Amino acid sequence: MLETVAQAVINGLLIGGIYALVSIGVTLIFGVVKIVNFAQGEFVMIGMYISFFLATQFGIDPVLSLLVSMPALFVVGVLVQHFLIRRVLGPNDMPQIFLTFALSLLLLNLALMLFTANYRTVHTSYSDEAIHLGGLYIPVAKLIAFVVAMGLSGALWVFLHATDLGKAMRAAAQNRDVATLMGINPNRVFCVAFGAALALAGAAGSLLMPFYSAYPFVGQVFVLMAFVAVVLGTLGNVLGALVASLMMGVAESLGIQFVGADSGLIVVFAMFLLTLAFKPSGLGGGRVR
Amino acid sequence: MAKAGKGKMLSLAALAAILLVLPQVVKSSFALDIFIRILLFSFIGVAWNLIGGYAKQLSLGHAAFFGLGAYTSTIMQVDFGISPWIGMVAGGVVAMLASLPIGWLCFRLRGPYFTIATIATAQALMLIFLKFRDLAWGAEGTTIPNLGSSPLMMQFEGKAAYYYVVLGLLALGLAITYRIEQSWMGYYLVAIGENEDAAEAIGVNASRIKRDIFMISSFLTALAGTFYVQYIYFIDPATAFNFNISIEAALVSIVGGIGTLWGPVIGTVLLETTSALLQSWLGSTTGGLQLTVYALILMAVILWRPTGLIGVFNEARQRYLKRQPAHA
Repeated sequence: MLETVAQAVINGLLIGGIYALVSIGVTLIFGVVKIVNFAQGEFVMIGMYISFFLATQFGIDPVLSLLVSMPALFVVGVLVQHFLIRRVLGPNDMPQIFLTFALSLLLLNLALMLFTANYRTVHTSYSDEAIHLGGLYIPVAKLIAFVVAMGLSGALWVFLHATDLGKAMRAAAQNRDVATLMGINPNRVFCVAFGAALALAGAAGSLLMPFYSAYPFVGQVFVLMAFVAVVLGTLGNVLGALVASLMMGVAESLGIQFVGADSGLIVVFAMFLLTLAFKPSGLGGGRVR
Repeated sequence: MAKAGKGKMLSLAALAAILLVLPQVVKSSFALDIFIRILLFSFIGVAWNLIGGYAKQLSLGHAAFFGLGAYTSTIMQVDFGISPWIGMVAGGVVAMLASLPIGWLCFRLRGPYFTIATIATAQALMLIFLKFRDLAWGAEGTTIPNLGSSPLMMQFEGKAAYYYVVLGLLALGLAITYRIEQSWMGYYLVAIGENEDAAEAIGVNASRIKRDIFMISSFLTALAGTFYVQYIYFIDPATAFNFNISIEAALVSIVGGIGTLWGPVIGTVLLETTSALLQSWLGSTTGGLQLTVYALILMAVILWRPTGLIGVFNEARQRYLKRQPAHA
């Protein structure tokens, strides 16, 4: 019994690392640019297809192809911010919500047209490998994904706290007007934030590829998790999003283990609704927007 | 002013006359099907527009109410033999009651997080209907028994009758919206939509107004759900709680003109006509094409005409009126 629980917790933590990459991206954009990117999941999907094609066409390992998917999506993020998002920033949130929502709809359905709804998988040498620790079983592909995800999250944290650009970003998140007066160019900061968030989504896609199938709707699973984690971890809070994502991964995994194979989502929704009912400001206790 | 009112009444009467005669002239069942879709989604858009457009609570979870309406009437009909006409009203009431806890939860969040909460509640309802087979046939769904021509059971031969039913629903939705627009509630709604905190500061009870308009909007959306499953004779969770219903409800209003009486209608005519044309040009639609085009239209409208196409429509009319001599 104890072993089953431990195994479920390990599985949950490992997938929670991927959720964290997506959630941190959502919360970073929300914190700095003050919008919710409904299309974040679709960028995970694009990252997966990039890795899929690099693996099948050129035989590049999916985890290594993160060196392609991350810069590619960073550039996409800068372009999206500069040419689309910038035009709808302001007090009215209708255009913001529906612009990113339209982007999500567009990317998803373009993928459906270009790649069909078929599931695409990449089989690597380590896809079926696992480490046995006592009675516990740790799949290597998921372990790599988790470690890299945590590394990238840590790198982002260092970037936000130790570099001038990162500090400028946090300043712009706290008070855009004052930051502008201090000589920070808000659009530049927003472009970097959006680019970094999309690069994390791309990384999530590449890391998923050795053990998860790519298909046009795949992003929706992850974005839903991310939205819940971001509310749970207090909006705009990077560390909160990370912790909440790991918790959600564990909760989902325990739900699958003890309630039934398809109950993962129900557990997540239940958590979301309970959070809304009892702690709408998130576990960090911050302010709700 | 009186003259303008008279002109408006005349064009409205002309529009009504054309819409009433249409199925007598157009007999093609393909064309009638498109008209029915246009009227149905106009109606759903009008219902969404009450909460989404006037109060600017941008729900993407209206499929929840659509599905509850559809399931209530179908369960009543299949299990108890009760007419869907009664089931339709009952479904509306169920959706209205469901909107209370849903609103209680979702209205705690504002802006984009309200939107996400509505998506989550609609998805959760779909999962419930998928998971609990005893409740309502699980994932397989059920066909609705075909009784031939049976107007009392909302089943008709030919599509013309369905056309009139949904035309009636749209007229009801527009009449309710018009009444609300003219009343104190309409002004309160616009105030909440513009700035909720400011509205509360001058004494508008925002939570109560939002709750009430959400109930009306849910009620109307549920009627559309009953109509739709009666029209296609089939129900399953994926149809009744389809996320695309939520999307289209919001989309037609935004494209047409959010918070305006005729916006959802104009938006639906544009989107559904585009989709029908694409379908007839390219044969059966390639998966994803329709929504790709919808997404592009939505982006274009948001970037260049965030108030919706109704503005273009009105400007064209004003230019036309200006060109007329003053006495005309």
